[in-house]
Amino acid sequence: MSDRGAPDEPTETGYAVELRDVVKRYPSGGGEPVVALDGVDFAVRPGEFVAVVGPSGSGKSTLLNVLGLLDDPTAGRRLLDGTDVTNLSVAGRTRARKESIGFVFQDFHLLPTLTAVENVAMPTAFDPGDATDRAADLLGRFGLGDRLDHEPTELSGGQKQRVAIARALINEPAVLLADEPTGNLDTETGEAILGEFERVKAEGVAVVAVTHDPLVEEYADRVVDLTDGVLTGGLPDGLGSETRSEPNRERDARRIARGDG
Amino acid sequence: MTDRDGQGSGAAGWLRGWRPAVSMASRNLRRNRVRTVLAVLGVCIGVLAVAALGIFGNVLALGADDAIGDIGTQVVVSPNADAGVESLSDADVASIRRAVDGSAGGGAAVVPLYSDSATVARQGDQTFATVYGVEEPALAYEAAEGRLPERHRQGAILGAGIAADLEAGAGDTVEIAGSQVRVIAVLVESQTFSPVAPDDAVFLPESAFSADGYAQALVISDSGAEARAAADAIRESVNARQDRVELFELAALVDEINEFFGLLSTFLLGLGAISLVVAGVSILNVMLMSTVERRQEIGVMRAVGVARRDVLRVLLAEAGLIGAAGAAAGTLLTVLLVAGLVLATPAVDAALVIDPTNGYYLLLALVFGVGVGIVSGAYPAWKAANERPVEALRS
Repeated sequence: MSDRGAPDEPTETGYAVELRDVVKRYPSGGGEPVVALDGVDFAVRPGEFVAVVGPSGSGKSTLLNVLGLLDDPTAGRRLLDGTDVTNLSVAGRTRARKESIGFVFQDFHLLPTLTAVENVAMPTAFDPGDATDRAADLLGRFGLGDRLDHEPTELSGGQKQRVAIARALINEPAVLLADEPTGNLDTETGEAILGEFERVKAEGVAVVAVTHDPLVEEYADRVVDLTDGVLTGGLPDGLGSETRSEPNRERDARRIARGDG
Repeated sequence: MTDRDGQGSGAAGWLRGWRPAVSMASRNLRRNRVRTVLAVLGVCIGVLAVAALGIFGNVLALGADDAIGDIGTQVVVSPNADAGVESLSDADVASIRRAVDGSAGGGAAVVPLYSDSATVARQGDQTFATVYGVEEPALAYEAAEGRLPERHRQGAILGAGIAADLEAGAGDTVEIAGSQVRVIAVLVESQTFSPVAPDDAVFLPESAFSADGYAQALVISDSGAEARAAADAIRESVNARQDRVELFELAALVDEINEFFGLLSTFLLGLGAISLVVAGVSILNVMLMSTVERRQEIGVMRAVGVARRDVLRVLLAEAGLIGAAGAAAGTLLTVLLVAGLVLATPAVDAALVIDPTNGYYLLLALVFGVGVGIVSGAYPAWKAANERPVEALRS
């Protein structure tokens, strides 16, 4: 996993994941289509932790779905590890997700019939070769070496989220996408999970977390704001048209004042 | 990463994907045991109905076949009295033989018979019987006791019925039309319905008769088709110029009887199939419910990179396992049920029940059970596997 910081193939930009002028519109029952993403430019370097904040309904989930190849943009380009993945077939998107993207959800979404180690190996269950050893190694690294054969109901929230992170890393992805990763955890456990994210990014994985949690913003290298489908600060410093590098605290104060913190 | 990219190719890769699918499927089925057991029970009853009714129809058909015996394989040739022919001459018999040998199959035996009637007595018991003169009895009949000679030169052969009436066996002496004759053989009881009924007849050598012609000739074939061909050939050649002989054949009737039993079997199978369809609907229902309940889980599987094909496999394996479990239980239950019925009903001939053709109905029901599972599971599985993960995760 450590070679993620320097991708094997030379890429155009060196970004793990990149959106260029992406627009996403949803049809809405005969009326004007809803614009969820409006000309979004977004890029994350390998080993960078980016938090995406913004009010509910601002298009954060859509952004994550488009980044995660769960949804296709209406217009614009999408690159993964320097490869254009804007228009892939359903099977192609599934394969790209398996190989290059890890997902972490607010509700953990572990399969209840599988043990911890089976959940971690689940993305590769139908592939040749047995990933059980790799899964066990990963769980060991997240301090769950003694919980391999426990079912999700026998694990605490923090343990479940660690299993989910291990599952996301089973195929050594370029990008880890997290949707409110601390949303269902108490502060202490949330901080522990964010600590795990730091380790993940230290191994060269780009981490993108959509969140309402100020704690996540503290751990992030960069915080970008999505409001009404418009993303500010989507590109690393000095590259965007609307560069913005307000300190976190200041923006937090503003958001709290606005009442959607 | 590239070392794990290949999905494997060909049949080996395709087969390998089923192992984790079946393993996940069986765990999913265990989650809601009551629902799974009920669905299995539905298939079990459907398979039981198909197998039991199929076997029931088959046993009826086999029993009828057994009772009708080989009337379909026998043709009785008699002189046509209407045309003034009182008996069959040697020339007639020879032309019948020629016709039969030239017909399709060609292996039929021709056994000419003299016929008369006489009183038969032994130790005070007395009965009136048809007496046939026959040279080669072994071609048409089988002995239960004693031995049928190649050429019948002396002694009497008794039909099963008359032997029982007189309590006579091989080696005993009976009185036929006043003269003492030794019994050389007793025939097996006839299963045949025929104008030449051997059960209440006595067979003597041809030399005992002084008639100037044969009363009848039996044409004995191995199959109904052969008998029909022989009868057609006799009509064409012996009766070419004049209707010298009359033919009595039941092959056509036997065909119709068999057709009827075929229809009955199909009808019974259809009846059973209805319950299997009901079982299929219950699997459909169970699978639809369970895929709706697990919508998010399936969405997560798809999101983390499990291919649609593999999701489909897991769900098809669930339906197939329900079908297979139900079919196996139903088949076992059918075997027990049929065995119980045979033991409880002495009228049913056990030999008919263990006839290998009944195994075909068991196999048919088993295959149908598994098939119903997979067919009913196909739509819910396809629907769930093709749902966009982004929709499934949203709920």
